[in-house]
Amino acid sequence: MLNAPYVIGSYVVTLGGIALYTWRMLGQARTAARQVPPEDRPWT
Amino acid sequence: MDVNDPHLNDPAPNDTALNDTVLRPREVVPTAARGRKKPWFAYGVLALALVAGGVFVAKFLTNALDYYCNVDEVGVKDGCDVGRSIRIQGVVEKGSVAETGSVTNFVVTFNGVSMPVNLSSDPTGLFQECIPVVVTGRVVENTDGSRVFEGEEVLVKHDENYDKENEARVDKANAEADACSART
Amino acid sequence: MTGFMTSPRNSPGTVAVLDRAPTSTTFSRVLGIATLVGIGWLVVFGLFLSPNDRVQKTGVRIMYIHVPSAWLAYLAFGVTGVSSLAYLWKRTRSLAWDRLAGASAEVGVLFMGITLVSGSLWGRISWGTYWTWDARLTTTAFLFVTYIGYLAVRDLGGTHQQRAKRSAVLAVLAMLEVPLVHFSVTWWRPLHQNETVENGKLSGLMLFTLFVGLIAFTLLYVWLVLHRQRVLTLLDQVDDRGLDVAIAERRNESVPS
Repeated sequence: MLNAPYVIGSYVVTLGGIALYTWRMLGQARTAARQVPPEDRPWT
Repeated sequence: MDVNDPHLNDPAPNDTALNDTVLRPREVVPTAARGRKKPWFAYGVLALALVAGGVFVAKFLTNALDYYCNVDEVGVKDGCDVGRSIRIQGVVEKGSVAETGSVTNFVVTFNGVSMPVNLSSDPTGLFQECIPVVVTGRVVENTDGSRVFEGEEVLVKHDENYDKENEARVDKANAEADACSART
Repeated sequence: MTGFMTSPRNSPGTVAVLDRAPTSTTFSRVLGIATLVGIGWLVVFGLFLSPNDRVQKTGVRIMYIHVPSAWLAYLAFGVTGVSSLAYLWKRTRSLAWDRLAGASAEVGVLFMGITLVSGSLWGRISWGTYWTWDARLTTTAFLFVTYIGYLAVRDLGGTHQQRAKRSAVLAVLAMLEVPLVHFSVTWWRPLHQNETVENGKLSGLMLFTLFVGLIAFTLLYVWLVLHRQRVLTLLDQVDDRGLDVAIAERRNESVPS
């Protein structure tokens, strides 16, 4: 495929960036949740 | 109880009822954003963002507002003067692309006005005949009054129209050739 | 200190599940699965099923992530602006609006970053350069650093109310940049092409693939913002609780053992 490194690279960077952001966010959520009891989470 | 603790009596109005004050409802405690973020980092990021924003505004005013001159505006429009470092925009003439050593020669045309280009770098991207390009360089006027563009870099200005490859290829090729000469 | 603060892992049943995915609900799980399916479709259609372009060849495939991420970044910054207005208006003032604004701005910066990187790679293969200072690229870069600055302003310290007020004023002003970026291709003459869907020609499987990308990124945006504003709620509670706990600990220290 012509220009494959650029085309595939753009998909890899995009999905990788989203995955990294999501992973860090959920990790932060777990850490913070240790100090907040379930009854103080309005969505539960 | 350690009566010498200096903080013991500070926040509690009724210091005799210790357990009551500990179980005081949460609403009276002011909300605070502290402990989880390092403010110096935020100040650093903010400073960088301000500097970058300033650079981008300067780039916008000096570069982006008049990004290119159409070929027919050279020597006519303000800022598109002969001899000055500018970008010109036009369509690469069909059959005009030739290479002599490290120089690529072609002709760009816009609104019926043509200009020969001597490009000192390799054309990249989608560079081809009949495609609009933006060339960075300088218009040089010969003694006989003819003009040539000494180009340093070419950028391809592809448009927002997309179409399937190989679909009625012959018709497309013909239409494209017609469009190329009609545009120029 | 009470038990949940020191040993959440010892808590039985539901609490343990909650602490593994504390910001999840049934709705967010369903949405998350839909998002993953959407992204899967985008990859399959974008990289394999959609046709090559006549001029751009394979380069057109980058459009299916570049254009949706740009649109979602615009939307995200719009949501930040509107929720900031909701915070500034006294009758609807609530820190929930502030956290929604912050979450949306952060996701918007992520999408704008994707727009810049994918656009840069696309520019290299079609224009012949990763970057040029034309009107569209320069205004986009400015929009990007504006919201990075906005996120920094949120972290400068102070009370949550101070944070909310100063960032809300900034967000309302920053929202005005979005039309500047969007119309930069018609107001000035950039290297960047015009809007594809409004002015260009796109049809069949190419248009469908762009549509798939837009749906996938919209689902992703909602899922990310939903979780992010819940995480920001947790973090704000940790701050409040930190103050609470510090006072309580201080008191407990003074109780003789």
